[in-house]
Amino acid sequence: MSSDIVFVIVVVTALAFDFTNGFHDTANVVATSISTRAIPPRIAVGFAALLNFAGAFISLKVAATIGSGIVHADAITPVIVFAGLIGAIGWNLITWYFGLPSSSSHALIGGLIGSVIAAVGFDDVIWSGLLGKVVVPALISPVLAFVTAAIGILIIYRIVGALRPGPVTGGFKLGQIASGGLLALAHGTNDAQKTMGVITLALIAHGDIAANNFHVPKWVVISAASAIALGTYTGGWRIIKTMGSRILKMDSAQGFSAQGAGAAVILAASHYGYPLSTTHVISGGVMGAGAAKRLSAVRWGVAGNIVVAWILTLPAAAAMGALTYGITRIFGTGAAGPLVVSIALLVCVVAAFLRRLQHGSALTAEA
Amino acid sequence: MLVPFADPVVDWATIGKVVAAALVAGIGVTFAFSLAVLGATRSLERRRDRRGAEASMFAALGFFGAAVCVAAIVLSIIVMSSK
Repeated sequence: MSSDIVFVIVVVTALAFDFTNGFHDTANVVATSISTRAIPPRIAVGFAALLNFAGAFISLKVAATIGSGIVHADAITPVIVFAGLIGAIGWNLITWYFGLPSSSSHALIGGLIGSVIAAVGFDDVIWSGLLGKVVVPALISPVLAFVTAAIGILIIYRIVGALRPGPVTGGFKLGQIASGGLLALAHGTNDAQKTMGVITLALIAHGDIAANNFHVPKWVVISAASAIALGTYTGGWRIIKTMGSRILKMDSAQGFSAQGAGAAVILAASHYGYPLSTTHVISGGVMGAGAAKRLSAVRWGVAGNIVVAWILTLPAAAAMGALTYGITRIFGTGAAGPLVVSIALLVCVVAAFLRRLQHGSALTAEA
Repeated sequence: MLVPFADPVVDWATIGKVVAAALVAGIGVTFAFSLAVLGATRSLERRRDRRGAEASMFAALGFFGAAVCVAAIVLSIIVMSSK
């Protein structure tokens, strides 16, 4: 009974994490299309939510990496998964509150590793998987998106540079409907699978799936797809209100190149099972499309934020995951610990939101 | 950890495939779509100038570019969906 309660808490927490991921990342997915006026905001957000949902169904290789490639699944308990998730959410909350750069994807992986180390030691972390599947791709992917977008925009200007700007802008606005759609699909594919991997780990820990027979049940795919799509749709309304002043000024050809590069990198990586920070990749694409036109047009501070996020997120989220596991175990091995920690986190979230409302938003540099 | 390039735990061959696929798809689709925009724009201009043969050639270029883009997107989704 107690393990069933913990399992339900883990699933609800994982889906809440997925929702906030969609909520937070809506800006990355739709900003370029909206800023170039390629798609009206309401349609862009609805379109992105729909394609986030569809994207979650096209591959399960990232879920397999999260579920079986980073920690030994047979050493996991539902409480370990819970502590990892809370560590990730807690770190995201702290970075949001203080305006520090972060990555939800790296926070999730870091939180999980920290809770595993605290619970069963260093031996049950697959360090080769962490290095080869997470750390190295995290370093390469934004640079790859930057280079792809930069070469892409140079080719575009070379081919269409002599044409009248009106039809070219119209053509690339049309192209942005497709490239923006692909980016939303790619985002749904990579990010929703991280939640699927975590829920499947919890299913293994709960004894519903054998550790040596990793597979993602259909209900997990559907629920993760729904949570990220709902988050994207809900987050969109906030974005529409604040959109005007917060977006880089770019033309529709740059938007097309940035979105195409981001989608290509995320889809290729997802196909080979690499969990990426989609925010870092999209930022790399936008900077590449800007830098190729004019170096001074790029907000290099964003690049600095990504570097800080690279260094900080994994170890800090791991520390949070380990701390959460320690606190949870104070209340024993049953459901009391996860219940107390969940309530405490909810109180912290509400308090942080109220305080932010009173004092205004931080200069968030989320990456 | 200090020498990942010499370490077999990092699957550089697969990472190389990701890099190649992203570059080919990202740059290839951008190139093809640029041809589509060039073809469509020039075709309309030539048609206005009553230069039918040139207009048809540019229209063909435009269709070719658009077809390559659609084919690349469909192919990528088919490849991703396959086990």
